[in-house]
Amino acid sequence: MKTLLICPAIRRAVPQLAEDGPLAAAPILGECIVSHWIEHLAALGASRVQVVAADRAEQVRAVLGDGARWGVQLEVIAANVEPTVAEAAVRYRPADEPGWLPAPHDIVLMNHLPGCPNLPLFESYTSWFAALLAWMPRALTPARVRVSEVRPGIWVGRRAHISPTAKLIAPCWIGDQVFVEPGAIVGPGAIVEDRSVVDGEARVAHSWIGPDTFVGPMTSVATSLAWGSNLTNWRSDSSLRVPDPFLLCSLARPPTAPAIEPLDHGAGASARAAGAPLNWIPTWPAPTPGVPESTPPS
Amino acid sequence: MKIENLGQCLSISDIPELTAVNSAHFRDEVHAVLPGSPSVIEIDLSQTRFVDSSGLGALFALYRATAQRNGVVLRLLNPRPEIQQLLELTQMQQLFEIVQR
Repeated sequence: MKTLLICPAIRRAVPQLAEDGPLAAAPILGECIVSHWIEHLAALGASRVQVVAADRAEQVRAVLGDGARWGVQLEVIAANVEPTVAEAAVRYRPADEPGWLPAPHDIVLMNHLPGCPNLPLFESYTSWFAALLAWMPRALTPARVRVSEVRPGIWVGRRAHISPTAKLIAPCWIGDQVFVEPGAIVGPGAIVEDRSVVDGEARVAHSWIGPDTFVGPMTSVATSLAWGSNLTNWRSDSSLRVPDPFLLCSLARPPTAPAIEPLDHGAGASARAAGAPLNWIPTWPAPTPGVPESTPPS
Repeated sequence: MKIENLGQCLSISDIPELTAVNSAHFRDEVHAVLPGSPSVIEIDLSQTRFVDSSGLGALFALYRATAQRNGVVLRLLNPRPEIQQLLELTQMQQLFEIVQR
């Protein structure tokens, strides 16, 4: 069965979510919206999925791969502008062509998460956060083995590190490879995405912490979306780029610098003589200015 | 920066930013007039567009200095939303009376 997904392009109400990537690839409880949709549609019987992306299609393609992960044939189509459902039907679905999922799953505009049409994602930061909270109990599908519900309303990634003195208050979601340090309080209504760190005595409540984000010691993130050094209060729509990395910053490494041409002696020369590829030599990017030294390795 | 001594009230205003560049100056100027024993210190942040940890440190130093004087009220006036966010992130809003006029 075929289906077609339309990625949201520009949504002026939530610019921070699309700063570093397309909205379709914005992280939601360890996955991105388009991944959630493909998983849902594959469960409904879709075997061929076309994804129309008008914003940074190459990044969408990189996130999704060829679809083998979901057992579907996947094609990402770059478009100049985001089509409506009606326009997409005309352009991509020949009239009366059989083999499509029944409506409304034949052509889907991903403005909401599967099964939550009444919870629009991109109308405001408030609506984004409300949709994520509502999605929390549904996010744990059988295919997701890296997160488990350790107590009612508390989901924790299997490779997360929670200090014994940290406190988790339901509902909350702690993603994979997250560190919650001593004395930290996470919840209620908190989502900490993958590879983030909530440092000692920090508090996160009614907030979303994006992936690869460091929340500094003794800070308090409330009614906010924090991603990297960006802090947006979803209630007031006020945004701030936090100037001091020990309060809030990104842990994402910068793109790896081009590999240095190996010296033609020693181990390199021996490996080359043996016919071994030399690109295995790891390159280590320069440390990100301001990233705390105590940050555990991800 | 403008500092006005209005009897019992010390008013500090016209602070475009409070950062590593000017926080020491801010601290010195305000501490110089503290011996006048004001009962209220009002810091008008309506013109303040940027505050970093040095600026927060200067505010905290002022808080500590006034905490030793019983009954002195320290008030932040009209901080912009982003400055208020920073105060909330650092939990410093618990130390000050924040007033929007």
